[in-house]
Amino acid sequence: MNTVLQTKGLCKTYIVNKRQNNVLKNIDLSVEEGEMLAVMGPSGSGKSTLLYCVSGMDRATSGEVTFNGKSTAKLKDKELARLRLDEMGFIFQQMYMMKNLSVLDNIILPALKSKKNNEERRQTVERGRALMHRLGIDDVGGNDINEVSGGQLQRACICRSMINSPKMIFADEPTGALNRSSSDEVMNELLSLNRDGTTIMCVTHDPKVAAKCSRVLYIVDGRIAGEKEMGHFDSSVNNLRDRERSLNNWLMEQGW
Amino acid sequence: MILNMLKKDLKRKKTMNAILLLFVIMCSMFAAASINNIAAVTGGIESYFDKAEVPDMTANIQPGDDFEDKVRALPSVSSVKSSDAICLVSSKDLSYKGRKMDNFINPPYLVSARDMAVKYFDENDRLIKSVPKGCFYATAPFLQKLDISVGDEFELNVGESRLPLKYMGRFKNPLSGNDDSSSPYILMNEDDYEYISREPKLENFKVRSLYINVSDPDDVRAIAKDTTYLTTREEHKSLYLYDMLSAYIMLAISIVLLVTVFVVLRFTIGFTISEEFREIGVMKAVGIGNGSIRSLYIVKYLAIAAVGAFIGFFCSVPMSRMMMKNVTKNMVLASENSILMGAVSSVAVVVIILLFCYGCTRRIKKLSPIDAVRNGQTGERFKKKSFMHLGCSKLPSTAFMSLNDVLSAPKRFAVITLIFTLCMLMMTLMSVFSLTLKSEKILWLFDVPSSDAHIADIDYYRELLDDFGSYDTILDRAEKMLSDNGIPGKCSTCFGTVYEATYKDKKANLWFFVTKGEKNDLFRCSEGYAPRKTDEIAMTGYAMEDLGVGIGDRIKTVIGDKEYEFLITGKFYTFQGSGHAVQVHPDLDLVKNDSISTVGIQVIFDGDPDQATVDKNIEIIKKAIDSDKVFNTVDMIEYCTQMSDTLAAIKLMMMILTVIVTAMIVILMERSFISKEKSEIALMKAVGISNRSIVTQHALRFVIVSVLACIISLAVLMPIGNALMNYICSMIGDVSDIKCAVDPVDVFIVCPLVLIGITVIGSFLTALYTKTIKASDTASIE
Repeated sequence: MNTVLQTKGLCKTYIVNKRQNNVLKNIDLSVEEGEMLAVMGPSGSGKSTLLYCVSGMDRATSGEVTFNGKSTAKLKDKELARLRLDEMGFIFQQMYMMKNLSVLDNIILPALKSKKNNEERRQTVERGRALMHRLGIDDVGGNDINEVSGGQLQRACICRSMINSPKMIFADEPTGALNRSSSDEVMNELLSLNRDGTTIMCVTHDPKVAAKCSRVLYIVDGRIAGEKEMGHFDSSVNNLRDRERSLNNWLMEQGW
Repeated sequence: MILNMLKKDLKRKKTMNAILLLFVIMCSMFAAASINNIAAVTGGIESYFDKAEVPDMTANIQPGDDFEDKVRALPSVSSVKSSDAICLVSSKDLSYKGRKMDNFINPPYLVSARDMAVKYFDENDRLIKSVPKGCFYATAPFLQKLDISVGDEFELNVGESRLPLKYMGRFKNPLSGNDDSSSPYILMNEDDYEYISREPKLENFKVRSLYINVSDPDDVRAIAKDTTYLTTREEHKSLYLYDMLSAYIMLAISIVLLVTVFVVLRFTIGFTISEEFREIGVMKAVGIGNGSIRSLYIVKYLAIAAVGAFIGFFCSVPMSRMMMKNVTKNMVLASENSILMGAVSSVAVVVIILLFCYGCTRRIKKLSPIDAVRNGQTGERFKKKSFMHLGCSKLPSTAFMSLNDVLSAPKRFAVITLIFTLCMLMMTLMSVFSLTLKSEKILWLFDVPSSDAHIADIDYYRELLDDFGSYDTILDRAEKMLSDNGIPGKCSTCFGTVYEATYKDKKANLWFFVTKGEKNDLFRCSEGYAPRKTDEIAMTGYAMEDLGVGIGDRIKTVIGDKEYEFLITGKFYTFQGSGHAVQVHPDLDLVKNDSISTVGIQVIFDGDPDQATVDKNIEIIKKAIDSDKVFNTVDMIEYCTQMSDTLAAIKLMMMILTVIVTAMIVILMERSFISKEKSEIALMKAVGISNRSIVTQHALRFVIVSVLACIISLAVLMPIGNALMNYICSMIGDVSDIKCAVDPVDVFIVCPLVLIGITVIGSFLTALYTKTIKASDTASIE
């Protein structure tokens, strides 16, 4: 398997009121193609910061991040933006979208900005509609973003993250703002994408979400405190219960 | 508690509060300056004359004339002051740097600082109380074609008297003309004046002026002799006709500026308060009452408004001074109580801000806590926000996003469009006014017949000023001169004087004008028809009001020794005589009275020559009559109005002001947009949209708005321009129906380019600030 993402000695430090706050401390990590990695840890442990640093949304203080063979530290802002646009997808806890665009327009915007798919606008729209259809929200394409439910909006965010067929999707608490049924729907979609070959790195507090991932990292105080291989999830109920039980036991061992 | 919250708020939302403070400073500065200007202009001449203590009437008499004693004895006269002046027969009696002066045509008058019967002001509007020995001040006509500075040495040589004099600067004499054709006045130390007045050669050139305050000017007229030259306070006002045109243009511009800043302020307050809705929601949710929440914001805006108004007040003083200084160099136009006015305006700005704030926070009462948390939106929307669709659009995505942003927030961008439209109008209106006041469209309103060339040298038609009957001789001589020089043409002239007209028991002093010679296109009646017989006249609306008459009525006038009865056949417009004027039939002969008005001789060359030939012919006339005062139409208007420099200065000032206002608005608005849209910018960056796209999108929004503003302002320019121009002109004379002239390059290219250019630069540079927003900020945004 190819390594999509690799970090070596990754550190991130913030200076707040002249006080140094080391949020990430020497993180060594690698993510293989097709993996679905969950990052867990207590609040303030550095999970989201890790996600932002590895995805190029933030610059690391030191260390190296290699994405798809390219060192992101050496990339200029413009190149980094291009990399995020073409090779990465993002899903946030809050369903951030452009307020002045309809749901479908929000989804196709990255595709229109990207030069990756050399296609006509009509084809992009078709692709956007196809993604929405796949996620079951094709009837809200023309709606404003405040005219749809949270679950629908988060699925629209998944569509947006998928529109440029990225190598990897970064999800920061993707189900954090959703109810259980919406959360399940969103996770099922992410699993489905992962099954289709998209690598996913997902920050979560929810063991039920993490239990569906193939590997779980546990971060405490900016360091990787533990790592658990879960294997691929086969979507049967029994399998999920076993995985949740096993993960919870492991998390308790880690001090969760 | 409230103070603690306020302190934290001011600290935490530094950018938005700083922006609001800047807007308040700008608003307070412009409001105070504009209101000061409006007060100064509307007070105008009246206030200047009051300040200078101009009397009800002046009389020029020969020294020793018993008229002075008779006037003092009149019961209706409350006070009489007097002053002496010496007429220097030739300007060449003065020399500068060893060369005799010949830069002004009319002889200068020497006046003593001891006899200042009216108040004189220096060029900085300071009252002149005395003149040091060996020094002098001079009025504007002294300076024509002369490059001198304060401290330069002159020498006065008359007969055996020699007097070195040091130039102290310009002074403003409210009763002397300021155009090039007027006599210059030289204000000198009393001892120097005494010394020069003892010169025997000047004995016959002394003039005495009386400054009479009288309740009934007719009493003075009744005892006046033929040699007594009487001028009323109203007649003196005509000296400032063109200064007032510039002043009223400044008034119009000040009003536009005032409207602009209040629109900006209202928008900014509404915009910043909408930022606070989430916090308002939280406060409501925890049970804080509506009154307390409102008072918190009102206290906050009061604090910002008070600080801003205080700073703005101090900034307004130099600004107002600069604006008024550009309007006229000949009048003291500063408002009487400029400091008080400024202070009142600043307090008014604070009150208006609080009212705006009160109005904007009114919604707090209606909102439920959760509505407020949703930034004031209820979540229910029955109207779609985005009616354009990216998928269906043919625009590039960045352009689409910009246009969609504009269309999705129509109220917000409509306000900015309105502000830009007003800014654009300030520039284009000045261009239009300046061109109109230089164009032939306005010449006839000064009672100048349209023509190819204008001979304005008084020496060439001096006889006309002594005897109106000499017009034939003068016109024949001029036509002969043209034909002798191989440039045959026809001449005409328009002149006028004041007669008393009566209708039933009503009386009014009106200017009667007649045009003699070839060309007579001044007969443009807006109602009725121009006089066809010698017993018919056309009158201005103001003159009709004076007598309470209309078309079809008959008025009586004594011209010379004969009483005439005239039938009013039409109504016309003019600036002359402040609009209180009458046009008589060309065959009627007027007889010279106290006041005389003429703008010289007009020439129409035979064969309808082109402009180049006309200019060549003008040069030939100049040589033939040995005078530089022969003009083409454009130069004649400049000669008539002396407004070109003033208008150019106002136009430039307007351009600079508009650039500053537009740049400030663009920078502050864009900065507040960035602040409000931080989450969206971070999101766009997170999904990989480049900085360049984001900056372009933000700059393009302002470009769209500025282009729209240009289109709107150009569409309304002519109706507004015509209305304002006619309004301004109606303040000065009885003038209406003026159609403004447009310089297409200036109005359609230069002004839009300035507005769009400054918008592009301002918004682009400000939008670069979006670079500081990181993609990772997406998660940390409220």
